[in-house]
Formats: sequence, structure tokens, C-alpha cells
Amino acid sequence: MGDFLTLGHGSGGRLTNDLVRRITSVFPAPETPSAFEDCAYLPDGYAMTLDGFTVSPRVFPGGDIGKLSICGSVNDLAVRGVRPEWIAMGLILEEGIAEEEVIGYMRSAALVCKELGITLTCGDTKVVPHGAADGVFITTCATGRRETARNLGMHALRPGDHLILSRSYGRHGATIAAQRFDLDVPGLASDCAPLWEPARALLDIGGLRCMRDCTRGGTGTVLCEWAEGAGVGIEIREDDLPRDPDVLSVCDILGFDPLYLACEGCMIVAVSAEDADTVLSRLAQFAPCSGAADIGVVTEGHPGLVGMRTHIGGHRVVDMPVGEILPRIC
Amino acid sequence: MCLAIPHTIESIVGERLCVARAGSARTEVRTDLIENARVGDVVLVHAGFAIERLEERESEELLRLFDEIRAKSSGIPQ
Amino acid sequence: MEVCGTHTVSAFRSGVRSVLPEGYRLISGPGCPVCVTSQGQIDGAVALADVPDAIVLTYGDMLRVPGSNGSLADARARGRDVRVVTSAMEAPDIALASPGRQVVFLAAGFETTAPATAAMLSEAAGRGLRNLSILCLHKRTPPAVRALLEDAALGIDALILPGHVCVILGHAPFLFISEQYERPCVIAGFSAESMLLGVLDLTIQRARGETALHSVYPDAVKSEGNRKATELMDRAFVPCDSVWRGLGKISSSGMRLAPSLKDFDAELRFGVSPGEPPEPRGCRCGDVLRGRITPPECPLFRTTCTPAAPVGPCMVSSEGTCGAYFRFYKGGTVAWEIS
Repeated sequence: MGDFLTLGHGSGGRLTNDLVRRITSVFPAPETPSAFEDCAYLPDGYAMTLDGFTVSPRVFPGGDIGKLSICGSVNDLAVRGVRPEWIAMGLILEEGIAEEEVIGYMRSAALVCKELGITLTCGDTKVVPHGAADGVFITTCATGRRETARNLGMHALRPGDHLILSRSYGRHGATIAAQRFDLDVPGLASDCAPLWEPARALLDIGGLRCMRDCTRGGTGTVLCEWAEGAGVGIEIREDDLPRDPDVLSVCDILGFDPLYLACEGCMIVAVSAEDADTVLSRLAQFAPCSGAADIGVVTEGHPGLVGMRTHIGGHRVVDMPVGEILPRIC
Repeated sequence: MCLAIPHTIESIVGERLCVARAGSARTEVRTDLIENARVGDVVLVHAGFAIERLEERESEELLRLFDEIRAKSSGIPQ
Repeated sequence: MEVCGTHTVSAFRSGVRSVLPEGYRLISGPGCPVCVTSQGQIDGAVALADVPDAIVLTYGDMLRVPGSNGSLADARARGRDVRVVTSAMEAPDIALASPGRQVVFLAAGFETTAPATAAMLSEAAGRGLRNLSILCLHKRTPPAVRALLEDAALGIDALILPGHVCVILGHAPFLFISEQYERPCVIAGFSAESMLLGVLDLTIQRARGETALHSVYPDAVKSEGNRKATELMDRAFVPCDSVWRGLGKISSSGMRLAPSLKDFDAELRFGVSPGEPPEPRGCRCGDVLRGRITPPECPLFRTTCTPAAPVGPCMVSSEGTCGAYFRFYKGGTVAWEIS
């Protein structure tokens, strides 16, 4: 095997994690290590995150790369209790792309910013030769101030805590795959949405431990990152997973496991057992979180491993996906 | 070695092509490998081809198995 | 033994493995076409990707299988045009759309998949396509099952047969298992229920000393199989000897293009002839494929050989035994108490 990177390294999951660790290990360690959470807490109550967007196709049911570029970064802040206030944006545009197309994406991005009161503070635009980029690449850096004094993060996970998924999972990945592999699924659209309002609604719940935005690598990857990062066991129940029939249809045909398909508007919330119902009832007030469900618990057993009780009452391990998610015929 | 999913044929597009639906996903499926594909047929699709028409068929061994299961579970509360 | 790799993955993913009581040992067999494709054949595929102007089309399953100099995914990362398709019929379409290019389709899979390749070639011939060829990697299942049953050391008591191969072939090609080797066998589908019914059938047969071939998948498997598909397949391909990774050469276990279709043979067109490089040192895929050892018993398992860096094919494929074990079986146990 070579030392060169493959698409697998960018798919979320184990290869990506390994690469990220290698990269960060080169830099001097920060004073307060953020332990690979979704955003970094800075001094004086500020926080910061960065995300890159290369999605293809650039327009899909449920959104476009512009909307995605804001929601992605906003959600990384939101799940750690940070109000998104400022965004910096970098654009890399391929020669030959229509200016109107780019402006269209900017309108989508601006719409989300307006909705959340986010200011675009600075940006950069580059145009590269034809072939040097796939149409449009966007990077956004979002910053804001914490609206909670609590240090939300996976270190807070305790055996007995409940895990709540904010909506049906895998919609974004399934939508992109359906486009890519010519499946016509009328009801299917990306779950791309900002999660700041629902996340904020949970911040004063005493038993709230942490939240995580599921993106590439899907729900399964987040659960594995929590189990491994916090050294706890996790058990989920297949029958309680909020599954979308459109997503399942796509997965059946292409041979995907929906647990590993990307989401862009779905989060996992860890909360003490006593406060689980409160989380569910608060989330129910927000449209992007309809269908929120209690899917499992943190346990003492098998630390570092995620297990699932299957529909037939058996068990399986949920591991991180490795490499690209590829369609199978076998 | 073979992922094959039931699809319902929704329309015949050509001599060897149809549009079929699995759950809520619609896709083109080749019918070269089956005879007389008709709208409404439920077919098993593998790698973009219908490989067989699914029909309710009985087998003696299945009947025997269900008898056994019924016999053994008659004492088990449901 | 469950012959089919899709059964292996299904059994793990649905939790069937974890509910089997004491006294059952489910040995995973070599029914994963990805796993048994030899290194030499992968090297051949990669060599075709290096042909100038070639577009290599492959099912997703094959993309990451390691050859002796990397996989097709590595070739793609180096800039070769390797594309994932979900149907053989994409090949003629791409060939038509790219007249200056040479389109090579990797025809991998067992008897479930070979008829699709045959149908595609029939269409390609009908359209007079000259820039399309295939690397024929198809294999035949019954000879491999026979080779395993010949291995007395394996101690297979019963077999779960590949449901979708049997959709095509029907019952007859597998009757030798009960008639000559006197083992009960059952054709099962891939749902948890179907697999469990299959295991139940085998249990009852064994308890009663029966050695018949049964089917718990009659909705899909006709005893005579799919005649139309088999005829297409038999016209397009002829049996040949084939090397199964880890099992060695098994006679009549492969397929090659019939003489009438030799114009579509990529090996002939491009002068690529796969050799057989030695297996990587320490790799015990062969013993795993035979069911002689379980993956945790291989010294490379989880140490040097992982899905991120697979040494042998059993670890690459999501349905390769080692890949399935790695993903679904951790901490020394499949089952544990759920609180």
C-alpha cells in the first residue's frame, strides 16, 4: 500500500481519524486540548470551528453547497452550546463556472446567515485553472460566544446516560448517492439544516452531557468516536433507531449500511436518564428534530465498543467505517 | 455473494428494460434474464438485472419447519 | 458452513450469529468473489487500468482488493480512469459515449452475476461495439464446494447454500452434496428469518440422520433454476480451471469467454496475462477461506492486517470473513449481556 492519500481518507471514519491525528500531532499541543470535539473553545468564552465543503452534485434536493457551507459550521458550534455569530468564508472556484451559479450559492448561504443573525466578516476568493478544482470548493470558519458555562464534551459521558438522535439518519448521504447512482426517490431530500435553535433549547437541562453533529461517516462514526474517545461502552437498539424508509430503500439497493451515511442536520444528544424525556419534548418543538428518538445508553460494559441489539434480539458490534462507502453487488 | 432486492415493476420501457420500485426508490432494471416481464411483477434484482420473478411457492421442508416451530412453542406464552 | 459471503455478513449484522446456541459452529466459506479473486487477476485488472485511454469499470466490491502492486483504488489515486458501476449495462453506454477510449469491464462474481455479463455482451455484440472488452473473473461455485468437502480435515457437518446462486442454477448442481458426500444442505435467503429457518432445517435433518438438499427460499429459487439465465450464461462462457485465492487451482471452477466472443476478451486484446505472484508472507486467507481457522487465529488479524491496510482479500471485502469479523466481532466475543 502506498503512502499517498485516497478518497477513503476523506470519508469520515477510521482513515480520516488517523490522518487528522497525524496532522494535529505535528503542531504544538494547545493549552487546553479540545480532544477532537466539533469546535474549539477559546479564551474569554469564544469558540471557533472550520469546515470545508466539496459536495458534488452542488445542488441536491434539500439544499446546495452554499446552504451546506453555513449549516455545517453552525452545527459544529451549536452542539457545544456556542451561538454562531460570525463567519469567514473562503471560495475556490474553477475557471469556467458561471458567475450566476456562484452567486446563487451565496444567496443560499446568506439566507441561513440572515435566519440566525450571522455576519459575514471576511472572505477570500480564488479562481483556479480548469481541472484544478471540482467547480466550487467552500471553506467556512465560524466563531461565536458560548451560551453555556458548562464544558460540553464526550468526557462528560457516564454509564446510564441516554443517547437521543434528533431525527432520522443518513438522509444527506442517501440523497447524494441516489443522485450519483440514478435512483429516483421522490420523497428523499438532504437533512441539511441549522441546529442552533434546537441545541440552544437544551442548554439549561441539568443532565445534558454533550451533543455531536453527525456528518460524514454518519451516526455510527459519532458513536464510535464517543465510545473510543471517552473510553465508555455504548449500546443502541436497532428497533428504536428512527429510520427513514426512503433512506432504507437506497441502502437496500446499493448495499449501504445507513448508520454510516452522512447527515447534515442530525445530532446525537447524551443526557442523564432522568432528563431524557425533557430533551425529547424540547426537541419536538423544532421541525428539523421531528422524529427524535431515544436510541440507547452509555454502559459500563465493553468500554470503547459500540454494540447494537438487533431486531431479532441478537447483538452486533458497530464499528467505524473504513474508507469510502462503496455500492456492493455482493 | 449476492445482494438482490425485491422490486415491483412499474412500467415496461422496452423489450429488455423496465422501471421498477424497491420501497420508495425507483430505478431502471434490465429484464433480459426473465420471461414476459409485466407491470406488477415482483422481481429479485441483482446488479441492475431482474434475475427471477418472486412468487409465493411452498416447499415441504418449510411446512415441516413451521409445524415443528408451532409444536415446540405451543407452551410458550406469547 | 455458510458458503456465501453475503450470508456471513448478514449473519453478523442481523445478530443471527449471536443467537445460535452452544454446539453450533458457523464456519464461513469462500463464497466471496472478491476474496477469491487471485492476486494475479487483480494485477491484471490494474495493468488494464494502465493501458493508455482505458476506462476500467468495476463493481464497488472489487475496488480496494490488494494486488501485489496495489489495488484499483490505488490506480485511481494515481490518476487512472477507474469507475465504479452498479450494473454491467453501464459498460456499453460508456463505450458509446467515449468512442476514443477503450472501456474494460471487470466481470467479477459467481453464477448470480455472470448471466448479467452475458446479457451485456449480447447487447454489445448486437451494437457492434469495438471499444468494449471484459476481463472475465467469473467463477463457478459447485466445484469449490466439492473441493472443500474433499478436505476431510474440515469436518463440515452441513451447508447453508448461497440463495441467489441457486436462483440461477436451481437445485441440481448442488445435489452431489447430499448424494455423494452425504451431508444435509439447505438453500436459504438472506434475511435473519431465512437463515435461522435454514439452520433449524439442518438441525432437524442431522438429528434424524437425514442428508437431503432442502430449500427454505422457494419464493425465489425454483428447483430447475432460471433456465433463460443459465442458457445465456452457458452460451457466453465456458468452464476453465481457475485459481481461487487461498484455495489454489480448482478444475472447472472458472469461466472464460466462449470462442464466439473472443473479440471481447481484454486479455487477448491488450496482451495482459495474469501470472500468479506469491501470497503475502504470513497471510492465512487460504486457511480462513477453507474454514480451517477463524480470523482471530491468524497472527496478522487486527495487527498488520486491518480494513484500513488489508494484507489479504478476506479483510478488504465487507463480506470477506476477516472483514466481517473485524467489523462485527470485537473484544473476544460476539455476544454479551445487554443491560
